[in-house]
Amino acid sequence: MSLKMMTAAAVAMSLALAGGTAFAAEIKFGVIAPLSGGGTDWGIGTQRGVELAIDEINAAGGLGVGGETYTFSSVVYDDQYTGQGGTTAATRLIEGDGVKYIFGPLGSPPVLAAQAVAAPDKAMILSSGYSPKVLTPEGKYNFRITLSTPEFASAFTRWLSEAHPDAKRVGIIGPNDATGQSVIPILVDAYNKAGFEVILDERIERGTTDFTPLVTRMIAQQIDIIELDSNTPGDAGLIVKQTRQLGYDGVIIQTGGPAIDEVVAIAGPLAEGYTTMEWLDPENPDAAPMVAAYRAKYGEGPINQFVPVMYNAAKLVLEAMKRADSIELPAVAEELQNLSGHPTLLGPVRWGGKEAYGIDHQLMTDFFITQVKEGKPTIIDRVQP
Amino acid sequence: MSMQSIRDGAVSRPRSPVRWALAAALAAFLLVYPFLFRGFLTHIGTLVLLTVIGATGFHLILRIGLVSLGHAAFAGVGGYTSVLLMMNYGLPWIVCFIAGGVSAALMALLVGPVVLRLKGVYFVLITFTFGEIVRLVFTDWQSLTGGANGISRIPPPWPALLDTTNYYYLAFVAAAATVAFSYRLLASDFGRKMDAIRESESLAEANGIPVFAVKVAVFAIGCTLAGLQGSLQAHFIRLISPVSYSFQESLNFLVMNVVGGTHSLAGPIVGAVFLVALPESLRGWVEYQFMIYGIILIVVMATLPGGLVELWQNVVRRIGSKISRGDR
Amino acid sequence: MFTLPVLSQIVLNGITLSAIYILVALGFTLIFGVMRIINFAHGEFAMLGGFALLFLYSALNLNFFVALLLATLAVGAGSLVLEKFVYRRFYQREMPGMIASLGLSIALIYGSVVLWGTHQRSIPSAFSGIYKMGPVFITAERIAVIGVCVASLLLFYVVLKYTRMGLAMRVIAQDRATAEAQGIDTTSIYRYAFFISTAMAALAGGLIGQLFSLSPFMGHMPLVKAFIVVILGGLGSIPGAAVGGLILGLGESFVSTFYGASAAQFISFGLIIVILLFRPEGLLGRKEG
Repeated sequence: MSLKMMTAAAVAMSLALAGGTAFAAEIKFGVIAPLSGGGTDWGIGTQRGVELAIDEINAAGGLGVGGETYTFSSVVYDDQYTGQGGTTAATRLIEGDGVKYIFGPLGSPPVLAAQAVAAPDKAMILSSGYSPKVLTPEGKYNFRITLSTPEFASAFTRWLSEAHPDAKRVGIIGPNDATGQSVIPILVDAYNKAGFEVILDERIERGTTDFTPLVTRMIAQQIDIIELDSNTPGDAGLIVKQTRQLGYDGVIIQTGGPAIDEVVAIAGPLAEGYTTMEWLDPENPDAAPMVAAYRAKYGEGPINQFVPVMYNAAKLVLEAMKRADSIELPAVAEELQNLSGHPTLLGPVRWGGKEAYGIDHQLMTDFFITQVKEGKPTIIDRVQP
Repeated sequence: MSMQSIRDGAVSRPRSPVRWALAAALAAFLLVYPFLFRGFLTHIGTLVLLTVIGATGFHLILRIGLVSLGHAAFAGVGGYTSVLLMMNYGLPWIVCFIAGGVSAALMALLVGPVVLRLKGVYFVLITFTFGEIVRLVFTDWQSLTGGANGISRIPPPWPALLDTTNYYYLAFVAAAATVAFSYRLLASDFGRKMDAIRESESLAEANGIPVFAVKVAVFAIGCTLAGLQGSLQAHFIRLISPVSYSFQESLNFLVMNVVGGTHSLAGPIVGAVFLVALPESLRGWVEYQFMIYGIILIVVMATLPGGLVELWQNVVRRIGSKISRGDR
Repeated sequence: MFTLPVLSQIVLNGITLSAIYILVALGFTLIFGVMRIINFAHGEFAMLGGFALLFLYSALNLNFFVALLLATLAVGAGSLVLEKFVYRRFYQREMPGMIASLGLSIALIYGSVVLWGTHQRSIPSAFSGIYKMGPVFITAERIAVIGVCVASLLLFYVVLKYTRMGLAMRVIAQDRATAEAQGIDTTSIYRYAFFISTAMAALAGGLIGQLFSLSPFMGHMPLVKAFIVVILGGLGSIPGAAVGGLILGLGESFVSTFYGASAAQFISFGLIIVILLFRPEGLLGRKEG
């Protein structure tokens, strides 16, 4: 490599580090999400959801606040799904790019890390991490915009005990990662409370592809319900396929981590009867504009669950800015909490969490029980947490 | 390898005063760095300095001809020890910091005599396996380590160090001390024994060098540095979880050393700058960042087999020959 | 739980796994034995094989076996471009070669992310039959996978044992200087060895895609397994890779059925450490000179 090339590379590097300069009337939304490794699907969904909301407001000519019209852009950084990545990305957004509103991260370690950087009042973080520590009374600008297991597990297991009164023995296959370790104990508790008996609780390392030994183990133990909560869509699809191939004919449930399209794509006809939950009813007319915009910009393919969730979150922040007639954190945060009843594509806004976390910063949404019927995801019930 | 060391020596020895001047200039630059580059770049600067500590530890082990892919696990042991002592027993930070280094050293003294029986690629493989086992223990021992979620809200060493600029100077002192110590070590009689072992163990043995003892000692020193870095980094990031100590991180230490250059102490330093700063500077190209990163690794290895340090040596040589031509 | 049906199911599951592990590990050990490169991008050739099969089989609707053969050859041939521009510079230089192949692995993974996205997909099943032999279930899919693996392993063995090219490879692996002194054209032998290695990885990738799923990140699993198999059997040893693959495949199947997945992880790592300590050259390897 010549000296000249190295100099050029060094200049390019420092320019990239320094970042672009912003226009006075542009507001940057920060996005932190896994854009490498196994969680990339969710990360891209997050990015796309926020960008769809930004496109929409910019196409409408921006947002008029306090006599000024603002347009929006997004700055996206990868956190590699790790705590350290979350710290670095949040520091860069807050210190480097001057961002005040951050969507993501996903997963507890980067969420907690980003919150530590933003504390006490540097930025608002609208995240999706399952650890109960994500919401605390001190975190006045931290919001969780997806239901976490404590919110939906009991509603789901109650529904399950009504739908399958004869099923008693439950086997769980979940990932041995941050999500699995936070979520599964809560889930086990919910199953026990709903009158089930959790016989097996298996944790897999991410990257496992052959689940036949675990399934053989489940079948030998005469399990009635196999629960796949918090597995990645691909893993869930594989487990469903291999389970059916080994002749298992009981119930297969995935309480959290909706991914029915991917499961159908991988398991094909063997996905029949697989039951899970969805945040979004795609038939819901309120969702149609977002779905259309998504198709126009990103084409066909499954719409990741985080697209509607993050789109919704960005829209809520924009609405709060409008109502507050300000882009400053305290005012926007206050209005965000006063949005109760505001209609969205995920239903009217409802904040909860006071009892469990001491602060009402948990976005409560209804969810839908979905089942694969004749190869198609079909909504069979609507449940309120 | 021996040819390289001869060439290395030939380039650097007569330029000793130049070297000191350069080192002084570098130190001066690093001292004012936080005032030149505020905010995020100070954060990155701190990360680079901390990484230098572990990478130097890796380099020392490399200098006896061994590649340890369990290096990050020792950083993890140091990190968890320090954090748990501080958060569970409220011990002062300096005690925890030292305990972080000592715990990594103890582990190295326990494991070292066993794994150091292996050489070459077998040493790589056994340290890789050992590192993965340690990571699994961090993940599965949930009651102590918090499992995959790790431990969050770690306090800083003392409150003033919540400020990144202050932490930068702590990292600077630690990194400078590490490099100075390693420099002295490599230049000492002990360092020459290390070189002899790398070139030929049987020859070193024949010359009366206690090969095995030296290897265990170097392994323990390198791992101690990893442990110290683990402690410093945990209190800086203020969150630890097992993914930060995986095989990937050990591999990063190797990449730093090879990309920087394996034959001089400057290698891990240059490599740490390269490896921490490069991905950050590419992060704007969200979709292409890793592709570019991968290609750069290939290009560097293909054009500079001696690492980036070689580029520097080429430049020095070229300037040198220009000056001598001008003299004539 | 230790009943005959369960045990037979375990053996059957284990053999399928073993077949794939061996296929991946053989190519990995061949490149190391002949060129002295620890090829971190080996798993990515498996990934490319999977995507090639997906294209040929489900987009072009070719016969499954034809598509599999074409995908294997296509990736093998395509990899020669990388051999020429990347790998050739690093032969016999372990350290830089390792880092460069790591760089290539990263570039291939994220290049694929840009091209194909990150969601996992599956190659539609070519065989949908599920057979029940007594209490044991086996799918036509798995029978085909085992068949293809056994056939290609035999072919590999014949090539290495009975052709001049195979002989030349073995000579280079034993002693490169002598090989060159004997007038063996190392450059072209390297090319053949590279082709065979990546083609076998691609074949394994296609089968993984059929049996499991495809994504740009899928190469990680085959690489780690190849690593372990090769340590078990002995680095550079061909029969060692076969034995190592059988032990790992059957062992994983057995342990995770009876003791669960986490136990299987600890046991397999523990086993490796024990083997390395007492037989560092692997079960069937020879000592490093």
